[in-house]
Amino acid sequence: MPTLLFEIGCEELPASACDEANVQLPELCRRLLNAVPSDLYLGPRRLGVLVPDLPERTPDAWVKGPPLSVAFGEDGKAAKAAEGFARKQGVAVEALEQRDGTVGVVVPGEELRVVLPARLAEIVRGLSFSKSMWWNGDGLRFSRPVRWLCAKLDAETIPVEFEGIPSDGFSYGHRFTSGRVDIPAADAYPETLRAAGVEPDRARRWHDICTALDELGSWSDPGDVLGEVVYLVESPIVLEGRFDERFLQLPPRVVITAMQAHQRYFPLGENRFGFVANGGDPNVVRAGNEQVLENRLDDAAFTFERDVAKGIDALAGELGSITFIAGGGSFADKTERLVKLVERLGGGEASVEAARLAKADQAAELVREFPDLEGHIGAEYARLAGYPEAVSAAIEEHYLPESAGGPLPQTEAGKILAAADKIDNLTVAFSLGHKPTGSRDPFGLRRAAIGLGRLAREGGLAIQRDDLGDTRDFVEERFESLLAVPVEFVRAARRSAATELRGVAELALALAALPDEKLDPIHTAYTRASRIAAETEPGPVEPALLSEPAEREVLDAVAKAEPEIRDALTSHAYDRALDAAAQLGPPLARFFEDVLVMADDPAVRANRLRLLLEVRDALGQLGDFSEIPR
Amino acid sequence: MTEGRTYQDMLGGLESFWGEYGCVLLQPYHTEVGAGTMNPATFLRCLGPKPWKTGYVEPSMRPSDGRYGENPFRFQHFYQYQVVLKPSPADVLDLYFASLERIGIDLKRHDVRLVEDDWEAPTLGAAGLGWEIWIDGMEITQFTYFQQLGGFDVELVPAEITYGLDRLGMVLQGKRTVFELEWAPGVTWEELFRENEREFSVYNFEAASTDVLARHFEDHEVEARALLERDLPLPAYDQVLKASHTFNLLDARGAISVTERAAYIGRVRNLARAVAQMWLERQRPSAPEAASTEADAHAAV
Repeated sequence: MPTLLFEIGCEELPASACDEANVQLPELCRRLLNAVPSDLYLGPRRLGVLVPDLPERTPDAWVKGPPLSVAFGEDGKAAKAAEGFARKQGVAVEALEQRDGTVGVVVPGEELRVVLPARLAEIVRGLSFSKSMWWNGDGLRFSRPVRWLCAKLDAETIPVEFEGIPSDGFSYGHRFTSGRVDIPAADAYPETLRAAGVEPDRARRWHDICTALDELGSWSDPGDVLGEVVYLVESPIVLEGRFDERFLQLPPRVVITAMQAHQRYFPLGENRFGFVANGGDPNVVRAGNEQVLENRLDDAAFTFERDVAKGIDALAGELGSITFIAGGGSFADKTERLVKLVERLGGGEASVEAARLAKADQAAELVREFPDLEGHIGAEYARLAGYPEAVSAAIEEHYLPESAGGPLPQTEAGKILAAADKIDNLTVAFSLGHKPTGSRDPFGLRRAAIGLGRLAREGGLAIQRDDLGDTRDFVEERFESLLAVPVEFVRAARRSAATELRGVAELALALAALPDEKLDPIHTAYTRASRIAAETEPGPVEPALLSEPAEREVLDAVAKAEPEIRDALTSHAYDRALDAAAQLGPPLARFFEDVLVMADDPAVRANRLRLLLEVRDALGQLGDFSEIPR
Repeated sequence: MTEGRTYQDMLGGLESFWGEYGCVLLQPYHTEVGAGTMNPATFLRCLGPKPWKTGYVEPSMRPSDGRYGENPFRFQHFYQYQVVLKPSPADVLDLYFASLERIGIDLKRHDVRLVEDDWEAPTLGAAGLGWEIWIDGMEITQFTYFQQLGGFDVELVPAEITYGLDRLGMVLQGKRTVFELEWAPGVTWEELFRENEREFSVYNFEAASTDVLARHFEDHEVEARALLERDLPLPAYDQVLKASHTFNLLDARGAISVTERAAYIGRVRNLARAVAQMWLERQRPSAPEAASTEADAHAAV
């Protein structure tokens, strides 16, 4: 069976478009060609697939018609619906087949060679990009203009007539050192391109780049730019550059960001860096790149010096004119709120000072140039102004964790400031109606809520649930994904009397870890008591009206367990709280065995119901057990 | 490195290349703009169904980019060479690279890259997709396929090629700073413009009267609306450009908070959109005044 090569020749594609094609092309080939590509050749100027063993025919297709109940009348003869369908399909009604409760026709596959050009055009049209453009009236939309199509079935050229795009068995090599190249046969494609200065295989480019960088020394890629670089070049040449040592006085992360974010260079330590070119004379290319980096560092040094001359306190003084969230006041307003929140969270001097300065770098010119370095730049400026390290560290850490699983702040002041910042982000955004919906979360509130949950649980920070206001449910719901326990345990724990956020998490974990023989009696006691006493008016239990030993036993047990549970909760001793609760199980079981709650005497009945209510409330401190399915 | 290629030689090379290709070679517009895109020869003529090819130098004025002439790479006033090809021909990139060769860049010796850049100009309601074009890591050109201008989808997709002349000059002349660029034989960029940078930076950041500027902004906005009322989109557009530059000055003076900023940009965008709409209506074959209005407007200047 023949091998097919199909290449979509483009003007330089963004790396993200290559990534998207990487996912979509195999599926498109499967659907439209009934075959799976053996290789993908993806790069800035081409999206290519090599499909070995192309079948000779497209698969037969089942075209579904009306359901049997409609297709045939009661007499078993074909009804109008079936006749209409058959006519539309161009077959006799007798030729209709039945499958899975409907009629239909099998449309035989076609000779692939005949339909191939149309199918290949369909592949081009079938690719969809998160960002696309048009370049030719209202014709095809694609990531960037498509300039040629090359299709070869073994040695035969398959012209693809599509939107007037040239398609005659040619491809193009390196943009500047090569030109149009004839692809003699499908399986000669990669070698032909290699001879024309193009490495079409992304994996090989990746490997070549890494090997060459390794030879330069110990390189790093903190900004993860290699994945993009590999799609920016077709003919990778790795070079080493250096910059003037005076720039080593800049905060190192500023230098690294200038290298990575703007220029996609790989830091090699000290004043050395590696970078990947797509051609050219190494000496000319190196000199140019060194110059560009120095220009950028020069500009960074200029703004850095201006910021430092101003000082972090003066920068903090400018926050009144910078808006935090539209409608949510300025960064000066935010700063005031942060100071209060930090105090409420029990923060000491360092965290209060850090709160006062946390947002100062929003007024720094360097942050305008390097927005990703907010926090870090503020911390550097605080250090330069002579603030204690605890203050600088807290400023540095207060955006952590940056991702759901990212590292947490390490210092106490950092944790407190980080929590305060997140509480404020959530509260302000919610008050302005920016609660996240679906996948839309422009203010990163899910991440903030997850961060808050982790600061409480893993960071051991005392965050009062009541302080979360309207955002409390949203924050606590995050535990459902954050904790590796069935969601019911989180839902149960959220209804507990725990006053701290970490209590919800700890309780959910403790409940989930409880063996069945321990959980079951509590669960049964709680659910039975709450079901029977659901409609009861609360009130004190009259000990005099308790005649049965079993009910007196329950009263004693509740009186003992209730404060024990409350006390254990306050001291974060969740296992002890559950142990105390478990003590109520046996007396309750005897109670339900021996005592008729619905006594004839209304006073006795009401008293027994109130007793059950006390049981429910005592256990309910640990959550709503009815959320947990048994 | 290439010797003996002055800034003015480079400009001449680009002019002759695009002139030979068939572009209408225009001159800079008569009021301050932040980019050649804002010249009506791009912003307006890229809208509507008529093909259009042009090339021109545009002084780009961006008050907050001034550095008092102390930073040799950032200026509040610099030159762009702007080329628009509407519709974009299939060989537009080849043409562009040929223009670089014409002015003396050996593409085989350099690392030339097209790096994704999706361009957006909120004050103009404009957006497009394209690239920053790098030579040895330095951005020398912004290349954009316009998709929208003034909030309207383009009909014939134009390619806009904006050469950053200072950086291109550095590559060509092998100079380490813009100051050292040779503009004409024996005359450097520094001699011509450094004092200009210093004085205008003082003006932009310190001396400009914010009260006067704020008043001017209001006046230009009112005037633009009045001119639109009288069906004069071209003079109205001048008022939009003046309002836009006044906004940039207020911004450089630090007189605009972030919240106000969005509101100011919205006001300019609404005006630009209204101008674009009126201008577009004139481009329809049925519009009776299509030709004469433009001539009148120019005569009035």
